[in-house]
Amino acid sequence: MTKRLLMASIALAMSGTAYAQAPAPDNLEKLSNFQSTGTTEFTVIEQGGDYAEGIKKTLERIKLPDGFKIGLYAIVPDARHIAVGPQGVVTFVGTRKDKVWSVTDRNKDRVADEVKDFAPSLRFSIPNGPCFSSDGFLYIAEQNRVLVFPAAEFFYESPDVAAFNVVKQGDLIPTAEESYNHTARVCKIGPDGKLYISLGQPFNVAPEDKLDLYREWGIGGIIRINTDGTGREVYTYGVRNSVGHDFHPVTGELWWTDNQVDGMGDDIPPGEINHQTAAGQHFGHPWYGGGDVRTNEYAGQEVPYDVVMPAVETVAHAADLGMSFYTGNMFPTKYKNAIFSAQHGSWNRTTPVGARVMVTFIDAEGNATIEPFAEGWIDENDEYLGRPVDVAQLRDGSILVSDDLAGALYRIWYEGN
Amino acid sequence: MRRFMIALLGGLLSAGGVSAVAAQDASTPDADALKDGRKVAGMCRTCHGLDGLARIPIAPHIGGEPVDYLIAQLKAFKTGDREHEMMTVVASGLSNDQISKVALWFSHFEVSGTLPADTSEDDAPELCVGCHSANGISTLEDAPNLAGETNIYIETQLKAFRTGKRVHDVMTPIATDLTDAEMQAAADWYSNIAIEISEPPGK
Repeated sequence: MTKRLLMASIALAMSGTAYAQAPAPDNLEKLSNFQSTGTTEFTVIEQGGDYAEGIKKTLERIKLPDGFKIGLYAIVPDARHIAVGPQGVVTFVGTRKDKVWSVTDRNKDRVADEVKDFAPSLRFSIPNGPCFSSDGFLYIAEQNRVLVFPAAEFFYESPDVAAFNVVKQGDLIPTAEESYNHTARVCKIGPDGKLYISLGQPFNVAPEDKLDLYREWGIGGIIRINTDGTGREVYTYGVRNSVGHDFHPVTGELWWTDNQVDGMGDDIPPGEINHQTAAGQHFGHPWYGGGDVRTNEYAGQEVPYDVVMPAVETVAHAADLGMSFYTGNMFPTKYKNAIFSAQHGSWNRTTPVGARVMVTFIDAEGNATIEPFAEGWIDENDEYLGRPVDVAQLRDGSILVSDDLAGALYRIWYEGN
Repeated sequence: MRRFMIALLGGLLSAGGVSAVAAQDASTPDADALKDGRKVAGMCRTCHGLDGLARIPIAPHIGGEPVDYLIAQLKAFKTGDREHEMMTVVASGLSNDQISKVALWFSHFEVSGTLPADTSEDDAPELCVGCHSANGISTLEDAPNLAGETNIYIETQLKAFRTGKRVHDVMTPIATDLTDAEMQAAADWYSNIAIEISEPPGK
């Protein structure tokens, strides 16, 4: 028995709890010290079969602009946000459960051959948001922790992969503020080399007695930190629950989606895509419920900040989530530097809306217009056949779309006519 | 305390053999009420499924849930005793009649929980089995099924009882003394159970 395990046993024996059992060994500490955890098993997800055939049938009904095709790329349970490896070796996919999936297309036929869990010795908690630095460091933003996996693209084949804290457990937000909902965090590395992480606030409308605490931590905001975890600052204020952001490939400015207030009616308030031009800007929550619609809870109150209105108003309750700027060469030139974003679909609207991939074009003056790009995941009985979550670009210029209802990644590519 | 005794008694009574299927109501539910309940359930289905098999991990499975538990939770969301960003919005718009009917709808399903092949009921978390059974199918009208719930959902509820965000005569004292590791172990046990929800026979 190692000394550490002995200490843990002693600590447990002294805790006087109702029933005793062995504590989970701290595998993160072992992986940080390049030690083996003894874990050898992966969970491998079967590809193909009847389940895949069912999804392919759904994809036959998806409408796309002329010349575009959609196909099943991988079966990935609970698939949320996507991080494509900068070398194109592997794609990582987060979940709102306890797993991160690695997705590998070994024979490069643009369909994945293998899907298995990443770093199986670690217990993740809502690892929704993976993101890569251009030099191959994988970051995973969880409910209340951020980890980094150096050279994950090359070491992921082993169950033990070097892993380190960027923000250790319990330091991302105060533990008393943890929630399961509005905790699908996303991350991206900015042009400044810093890590940008969204922190949704857990309420429909943030209550007054939480506002000071939330402002201090950047809950209901987007924070940025150095990749070693230092230098934390709140970059964005007045966010309700942002689950997608990316940096404009030319201007380097941050654009992000936000999910707006429920319970005000089927058609208000609008969803949002926001354009941030400076650190510390405020985007209106909780005084605004979406667009310029004031919340009932703060009706008539003077708004204490200068508020930036959304660049794009989207259909109410469609749930705009993941987004990526398109920088590839495969699609027609009009898509260059456009935003591809996913609408997850409404949950409480009388008639469901969303469940589609949108494209937003931005002109030279920065004016943005949005239109549907891929749709058809709501059937004639108003039942969801899929719910898109995130969009990411592969190296060949095609895009991947994740779907957490079907549990899949789709690939959309351009063939021309 | 009295309810806690009943809870323990319920545990003892069920110890002789844990039924795989919970019969929530011996009588046949009123067909019109069921139809009305199905209509109300239209607003639940995106997250909980029309049959109560959850479609998103943050939502619990509610098909085959004890009707009294469902009514109590919806009323708690409605009054603010229990808070959730989505459920507070939903429940605030429901009448008591709608609550009864939608609870009837979801409770009328049959539900079963099957342990993974390599596990034994003896390994189930002992503090939980009295009310929730080893296979996560409730033995009491006041306790939810836990079979197949996402482990983080169960953990979140246990922590809510520990911090006082959620209050219950039995669960509050139990959760108060649990460590994070114990919560995780209990949550993992129930999340690994396979849940099946089906229409009752003869429908």
